[in-house]
Amino acid sequence: MSKIGPMALHQEAQASRFPQFDMEVLVGYILLIGVLISMGLIALGMAWRWVNTGALEFDYTIAGMNFFEFVWSDLQQVFAGAFRPRLLVNLGIAALMLTPYVRVLASMVYFAVAERNWKYTLFTAFVFTVLTYSLFLR
Amino acid sequence: MSFPLLFLVSIAAGFVGAMSGMGGGVVLIPALTLFGMDIKHAIAISIVSVIATSSGSASAYVRDRITNLKIGMFLEMFTILGALVGAAITIVSSSQPLYLIFGVVLLASWLALFLQRHEGWRPVAHQDGLSHWLELEGSYHDQAIDQTIHYRGARAYFGGPLMFGAGLIAGLLGIGAGALKVLIHDLVMGLPPKVSTTTSNLIIGVTALAGTSVYLAAGFIDPGLAAPVILGIVIGAFIGTRTLVRLTNQTVRLFFLVVLGVLGVEMLLRGLGVHL
Repeated sequence: MSKIGPMALHQEAQASRFPQFDMEVLVGYILLIGVLISMGLIALGMAWRWVNTGALEFDYTIAGMNFFEFVWSDLQQVFAGAFRPRLLVNLGIAALMLTPYVRVLASMVYFAVAERNWKYTLFTAFVFTVLTYSLFLR
Repeated sequence: MSFPLLFLVSIAAGFVGAMSGMGGGVVLIPALTLFGMDIKHAIAISIVSVIATSSGSASAYVRDRITNLKIGMFLEMFTILGALVGAAITIVSSSQPLYLIFGVVLLASWLALFLQRHEGWRPVAHQDGLSHWLELEGSYHDQAIDQTIHYRGARAYFGGPLMFGAGLIAGLLGIGAGALKVLIHDLVMGLPPKVSTTTSNLIIGVTALAGTSVYLAAGFIDPGLAAPVILGIVIGAFIGTRTLVRLTNQTVRLFFLVVLGVLGVEMLLRGLGVHL
């Protein structure tokens, strides 16, 4: 077999890599964007705190709240425009926790809608349900 | 613990974790407890940061199409249940056994890494019915040898339940437990090394989230402490991976392995009630 065979195959794979939208692209970018948003918010919150007070320490705990209540109380502050360093840090942590969660949700939808693979739609639905349940724990 | 110290320890943990291939949590937790943090709080903070390091590196591997998403999502069903049980055990447990188990797990994964097998990967010759039904197969392009590798996974009936155990350890100790997951992928399911490490990476993020939710509900996650740790460990891991690409020096690797070995022994001794 000549050298052209695998080369051409490789180029074909390369060419189809970019225009094609598939699960790899979807999952890869959800993870990337989620982590970047989270790191950005946490860094910004810490920097703001430092500029304001010269201190970097935050002293507060999240108690008696499940994850969704935590996110909701943060979002209410966002809607009220009550931005402060602590809120940015909270949003950063929420974004971080939402990253794998949204990844599972998006995979579930992709398996169901694009691939029509019911077996894996069911598997990811199971993972999504267990995660949702655990995020409701308090 | 003061803020600058916490931040620096986290950067160092992320760096050593990436350089040695052990992951950040395994370094972070002994370091935090050495500086006086309670082990349960160290575990809770570590598991949040594991979501960040795993998702960050998984995003690159997934887009490179090395990760097997189906195998990952099948095995996640088992690891998340394990993580929930593990985290629940930690919350009601006393500190001593946690030190002990941590020491044992650290030294075991240290040993697995130290004795890393150099034998080549052999494709699965016969795929069992369940693994076939689960569509556990795939291919990826290996850039080093410029070849597309096709592979099939096997023994899902065994790999699944074992992954529950790996998830349990992850939730219990607040670590990714990547070494354990890779071992199961390699030895039980017959996946090629690159696929097993990258797929384990994907699974770690979701598993850590399940564990985090339990610690969050129990009030163990303090955002003020978690924020610098998350940021520090991601920065450290980023520098560590970059350094790793340029630096394949075995001596450096050995140095980090020695550091980790010492941390493991230290945790084990604390678990046995011996204070140095």
